[in-house]
Amino acid sequence: MRGRICRGVGFVLVCACTVTPVLAQPPALTPAVQANYMLHCMGCHVADGSGAPGKVPSLRDTLVPLAMSTAGRRFLVQVPGASQSSLSDLELAQVLGWMVRNLSARSVPTDFADFTAAEVARYRRYPLVDVRGTRARLLAAAAAGFGTMSGTGSSVRR
Amino acid sequence: MLNPIDDLMERLARGMAQRVSRRHFIGGVGALLFGGGAVPLLPVARGESRSPAQGSATDPGDPRTCEYWRHCAIDGFLCSCCGGSTHSCPPGTEASAVTWLGTCHNPADGHDYIVSYNDCCGKSECGRCLCNRNEDDKPLYVPGKSNDYNWCAGSQVGIAYHCSTARIIGLAK
Repeated sequence: MRGRICRGVGFVLVCACTVTPVLAQPPALTPAVQANYMLHCMGCHVADGSGAPGKVPSLRDTLVPLAMSTAGRRFLVQVPGASQSSLSDLELAQVLGWMVRNLSARSVPTDFADFTAAEVARYRRYPLVDVRGTRARLLAAAAAGFGTMSGTGSSVRR
Repeated sequence: MLNPIDDLMERLARGMAQRVSRRHFIGGVGALLFGGGAVPLLPVARGESRSPAQGSATDPGDPRTCEYWRHCAIDGFLCSCCGGSTHSCPPGTEASAVTWLGTCHNPADGHDYIVSYNDCCGKSECGRCLCNRNEDDKPLYVPGKSNDYNWCAGSQVGIAYHCSTARIIGLAK
């Protein structure tokens, strides 16, 4: 009899395990600036900014050197994915600053200045013609030590 | 080193031989095998298998339908109908990291969730549960808001598209 009771208890335990509902916990609220990165940039640049090898360039090693020069900052605003996004000037400025601080594999210099809405508005209206060529020139200049170069890139003034 | 283990096993085997008849032992093993096989057929287990179609209190709806709330901006075959799920690719395919994202409103809790529609790539089209809701999708001349791409072009296993997942990756509001 005791054996039957034990088997019965075991059966109930097994059944209870099979019907235990799985209740998903909602994630924490995503900060607005991060949500804007997710909805406007992450589709191609992926969550950590590493992109897709051979298809989407990684941001992880290039954000800091570009963000430390005038021409580089203009490039970051003018790349088509940024300048043509539906983000406002202020939202784009906040997203760019968030990216520099959160997606860079390099440490962010203490004198890094956040982007401003006025800065974004100033650069955004001029489309970038040669994205790859401009990026290559700017990164080469940054590597050579011209961190504050203020060249014109290849944007077109309409 | 092994002597204590040998002794223990010998004591257990002898004890079992003294207490349990061979027929009883074989019958017990048979009952265990048959009983274990019957567990998935019990009414309780069948009731549980229906639950994905009905969802839960916090995640309502059937993930195998276009009307499921997470599918508000989907365009493609549902991986839930193709051997995968809303968050996993079917066997033999690989999720593309490059993806279409949007927000969908969960009617159960009133929140807007950030959903990533990662395509599963590397096999030909699944062909089941085609959905094209694409809410708020824009034409190709608004590239940042257009979903008319083969996102498998960004995968490492080729451009063959199989199906789409709908993963929740954040909470917008």
